[in-house]
Amino acid sequence: MEANAIEVRNLNISFDGVKVLEGVDFTLGVGETHALVGANGAGKSTLVKILNGIYHKDSGEISVFGSSTPYDSAQGARERGIAMVYQDLSLVPPLTVTENIFLSRPPFRKGIFLNTAKAHDEAVKILASLGVDTVIDPDSRIEDISVGQQQLVEIAKALSLEPRILILDEPTASLSNSEINVLFRVIERLKGRGISIIYITHYLRDIFKICDRVTVLRDGSVVLAKPVAETDIWELVHEMVGGQAETSVVWKRTEPAPGVKPLLELENVTTRSIRDVSLHVFPGQVVGIAGLLGSGRTELFRALYGLDRRISGRIVVNGREVAIRSPSDALAAGIALVPEDRRKQGLVLDFSVEQNIMLPILRKLRGKMLLSGKKSGTLVDHYIKYLMVKTQDRRQHVRYLSGGNQQKIVVAKCLASEASVLLLDDPTFGVDIHSKLEIMRIVREFAAAGKAILFVSSEFKELAEFCDEIYILKKGSVSGDVRRNVTEDQLMQMVQ
Amino acid sequence: MNVRISSKINLRNSVIYIVFAGIFALFSIILFNKGFLSPDNLLNIARQTAMISIMAVGMTFVLCVAEIDLSFGAVVALSALVTAMTLRATGSIPLSVLAGLGSGVAVGLFNGFFIAQIGIPSFLVTLGTTGIVSGIARWISHLQSIPIDNDAFVFVFGSGDLGPVPILFVWTLIVAVIGVLVLKKTAFGLKTLATGGNKISALYSGIKTNRIKLGVMVLNAVLAALAGILYAGRLHGARYTLGDSDVMIVIAAVIIGGTSMFGGKGSVIGSVLGALIMGILNNGLILMGLDVDQQLIFRGIIIITAVTLTMREKKS
Ligand SMILES: Nc1ncnc2c1ncn2[C@@H]1O[C@H](COP(=O)(O)OP(=O)(O)OP(=O)(O)O)[C@@H](O)[C@H]1O
Ligand SMILES: [Mg+2]
Repeated sequence: MEANAIEVRNLNISFDGVKVLEGVDFTLGVGETHALVGANGAGKSTLVKILNGIYHKDSGEISVFGSSTPYDSAQGARERGIAMVYQDLSLVPPLTVTENIFLSRPPFRKGIFLNTAKAHDEAVKILASLGVDTVIDPDSRIEDISVGQQQLVEIAKALSLEPRILILDEPTASLSNSEINVLFRVIERLKGRGISIIYITHYLRDIFKICDRVTVLRDGSVVLAKPVAETDIWELVHEMVGGQAETSVVWKRTEPAPGVKPLLELENVTTRSIRDVSLHVFPGQVVGIAGLLGSGRTELFRALYGLDRRISGRIVVNGREVAIRSPSDALAAGIALVPEDRRKQGLVLDFSVEQNIMLPILRKLRGKMLLSGKKSGTLVDHYIKYLMVKTQDRRQHVRYLSGGNQQKIVVAKCLASEASVLLLDDPTFGVDIHSKLEIMRIVREFAAAGKAILFVSSEFKELAEFCDEIYILKKGSVSGDVRRNVTEDQLMQMVQ
Repeated sequence: MNVRISSKINLRNSVIYIVFAGIFALFSIILFNKGFLSPDNLLNIARQTAMISIMAVGMTFVLCVAEIDLSFGAVVALSALVTAMTLRATGSIPLSVLAGLGSGVAVGLFNGFFIAQIGIPSFLVTLGTTGIVSGIARWISHLQSIPIDNDAFVFVFGSGDLGPVPILFVWTLIVAVIGVLVLKKTAFGLKTLATGGNKISALYSGIKTNRIKLGVMVLNAVLAALAGILYAGRLHGARYTLGDSDVMIVIAAVIIGGTSMFGGKGSVIGSVLGALIMGILNNGLILMGLDVDQQLIFRGIIIITAVTLTMREKKS
């Protein structure tokens, strides 16, 4: 019998005395695409980081293609043919796309010098195989491209290693449909070449498109492992949360009551990257912004949040024009933001959960002179419960939270700011299906309490179902405005 | 809040206690016969390290905000001279102290402006400022010492004792306690750590990171100015060479104390302990009868050893 690509037996690991994986068995067959799913903090990333040599198991056996010689670094994993796309991207921001793609393999040389021309051509080839050679310039720096593009570069980097086992940890979290479809075609091709793939995702529907088997983790233990053909989305969710849970909700739309003034108005706002954008949001409304990568949806938020300088145009909050030149002006005007990149823009990783949530509202937490630990404690504990954050307590450093739980902290920060206008840039990025619905419900609650919500998502399905009104952005300008019910496909057409 | 200093001493911080205890015990044994443990000598150490401790508190904030300040040594001299000269000219203690502290504020604002507003790396700015400030100190004093004979000033700022307690010890205690509270329990402290930990996230959280950096540079310069005033009081006079040799010692004390050079993490208590280690080293090496060259070499070796220990602990 041929050995499996990966076999894991009775794997255990704990951090600070807290068990994170307990008695995990996991088998990845050769040529198989294996979905790994579970709620935020279930231990998915931890499991694959062990397989990739980043974390070191406490006990258990791991064999790769029948060999159980231990390895303890990503280099060791690579020698066994394993490559991984990390959930928290591992790219070096000041380096170029090309340099990043070839960072973890021996460089192309010409004599003693680097052969940059060859590296460039190879990078273009790999990007072309992902169908994005026209969107991503191999010479641009990582820090200058969007998160979605970075994710594609990360995938290109793993492919450049020509692995026999490819691990993808939430590779599609910030990709839009067309890019996801390309990725799926790449996966099909790799499958055809007999490459084994571990695919972690919170988009359970995708599993049924591309995966052969699925393993569900709950609180660090395997609760289900079977061929995809023998299960369905409801069973998966049921196993993930350990009980009944919804998989989708039909949101009720709210029409602005007649005579009510808009809470947020933009009049002909122009910056370096957007042109003449006008829109309004009424209290109680959730307004979506649909656009492709580079359409200016994030830049619109940057303008509103005082990050990009406004060249012309007015921003009016609650009937009063506001001068916003910095995020602190925006917060003072009652505008809060969930930024697109949680680790770079949303969190101080070496701060505790509590300190992170406190940051925008320090003024409100002051006692006579010193900060009041009591006030912040109560507030933070409330949000931990409200958003179902999996953390040891409010003092745990966010660096050690799972990706989805970090995202929840960013959302909590925004909600706790008591702003009247919430700018949400992919707020449920990396959040599991159950918590996601919960967060959407909370956003709806906030809207119902008279706040104005602007919502950006790379998922058009989510926009179509969730928003009361959707503005279409193209090349930095508003090209349309949809108030009736639309479908995902119609939206897709409109943004092209 | 991250104020559970006593209930959950993290490993990195606890190493500093061990290093401190180790060096203290070592000298107590080797130098037992030379009076290392005598009350007089211990009080002497307290006096000698007061200024280093006070400057270390300021430097903790600077490193926490992910900047560096090389110019505070020059500020010590400038402030001491300005204070002494004002005192001689006016005879007014409050006026002279304000003038001294004011010179610190001015240098801090200058540094902060170029670092925060113009965005020049603090290493370069403060290297430049060091030149400017020491130049001014030499120029206004004509390279002469300026004596102070005001008894009240000398008592309060450095030479006096309250019962058995040296007044310098009181100054250290006040600055250290305020430093601990400000860093861990005020909005300013948290904003400092956030700015140093992740400037972009701090900015997105509505923190005026430029203003925080400016504030920290001013704070550090003011504490250096205070140290200068205390030197003037203790030495009954001021001279342009004051503070020269303190820069490296203070930075080393802060790093040994567990503050990260990359920003976002720091401990005021650790820095004060680091300063005490430096003081004990100085004192011990002198008592051992080593000459200046040997002292330099030994001090260097011990600093590197101590930092290695704290770093190792951090990794595990
Ligand atoms: N280095 C670490 N130190 C302490 N705790 C950790 C560490 N890494 C992970 N954890 C904890 O282990 C648990 C599992 O985390 P993991 O990142 O594997 O979750 P996940 O299943 O990938 O979740 P998500 O869907 O949110 O990415 C979490 O509760 C997390 O807090
Ligand atoms: Mg994860």
